[in-house]
Amino acid sequence: MLHHPNPHQFQLELTINGKLVKREIPTHLRLLDFLREYLGLMGSKEVCGEGECGACTVILNGQTVNSCLILAVEVHGGFIITIEGLSDTRELTEMQQAFEDHHAVQCGYCIPGMVLTGEKLLERNPHPTRAEIKYELAGNICRCTGYHKIVDAIEGVKDPDQGGLE
Amino acid sequence: MKFYQPTSIREYFELSSSLTDKTAMLLAGGTDLMPRFERGEILPDHLIDLKKLSDLYQVIVRDEFIQIGALTSIQTLAENQLLRNEFTAIQMAAHDFAGAQIRHRGTIGGNIVNASPAGDLLPGLYAFGATLTLIGQASERQVAIQDFILGPGKTALKPHEILVAIRLDRNHFESSFQKVGLRQSMAISVVNLAFVYLKKGEVYQHLKIACGAVAPTVVALDKLTSTIMDKTSKPEDWSQLIEADISPIDDIRATARYRKLVIPNLVKAFLNGKLYE
Repeated sequence: MLHHPNPHQFQLELTINGKLVKREIPTHLRLLDFLREYLGLMGSKEVCGEGECGACTVILNGQTVNSCLILAVEVHGGFIITIEGLSDTRELTEMQQAFEDHHAVQCGYCIPGMVLTGEKLLERNPHPTRAEIKYELAGNICRCTGYHKIVDAIEGVKDPDQGGLE
Repeated sequence: MKFYQPTSIREYFELSSSLTDKTAMLLAGGTDLMPRFERGEILPDHLIDLKKLSDLYQVIVRDEFIQIGALTSIQTLAENQLLRNEFTAIQMAAHDFAGAQIRHRGTIGGNIVNASPAGDLLPGLYAFGATLTLIGQASERQVAIQDFILGPGKTALKPHEILVAIRLDRNHFESSFQKVGLRQSMAISVVNLAFVYLKKGEVYQHLKIACGAVAPTVVALDKLTSTIMDKTSKPEDWSQLIEADISPIDDIRATARYRKLVIPNLVKAFLNGKLYE
């Protein structure tokens, strides 16, 4: 959370998980804090707070970004997908199912970022090599199990051509 | 904190000149600025976000040069085919830059203006002799990158002036980039190097080597490369010629002693054609 001695308000409008959201916010509010504290979307996590770990990853206008490094006001008018918006039903996506099938989750804190990064990778490249998966995951850090099962999960998505985000 | 998003350069200058307050700051990708705020640096009273200045995203290709808008993302550089073919060192640095989330957000202009001694795009830009276009309220000037970056975090930007584009002349040189970090990605470089050259047989017709994180700014190893080109130095002189141009320090990532060893080793590996073996 950033602080400022003279908060200034801003009327923010943006589309989150397909819904138009309007809120009055202080200009120094980070996108991550807006998602968690104003909207109650707790899937995006804060760990390092400085863009190293990827636990706060969301998809902004089609690209993965660290929501801890962005002010909410910067994305006024933008389109955001968080882990909560990945599936519009209660069903898991192929990627989420693969994480479960491969036991790729231990504490779970890094997983929303891992899943979103994996989804964007398969959207662009449905059949990545292990090296390509590792390259893409460089900005997502796991401190529990290491990365083998996470890479296995992304590699093992059953029907990668059907997955991905619009 | 008041937040502004000017949508034209004219609007930016009107705004900027109205804010005589010293605590106005410019924002591009935010990947360097935001962590400074996280660490407790005071936010400015006025923050001007440049990302709606559409002119600053243009990439213009001509027969003689490529001109890259200052807000071009690191990811866009990494995916650019012309850079890959003709400015390989810069494309390689962009490809190996941090992680995808940072590459999507970080900009070439931000990497330059941030003026970090370890900025990964900088050795390639120095070695290719990049020229920067700076515009002020009633002026436009072209500055060579080595005259623009004055020290860590210090540049030749005048009040209200902004960096709008980076120009690289298309000389069809070969090039390569190498960095040493504590891990392959997401690690600030211990040292980084760009090699730009044109070789006929065993003879260098052109050779420029720039390295970062070994001095307050990126340095070109001109004492070494000029004597290699005019054949006045021998391999046993090379370490000394390199050391004459660098002044590394100890920091949390590595010691000065290590940097003084690794730079000559990498340069010699390159000159002996064994850099990637």
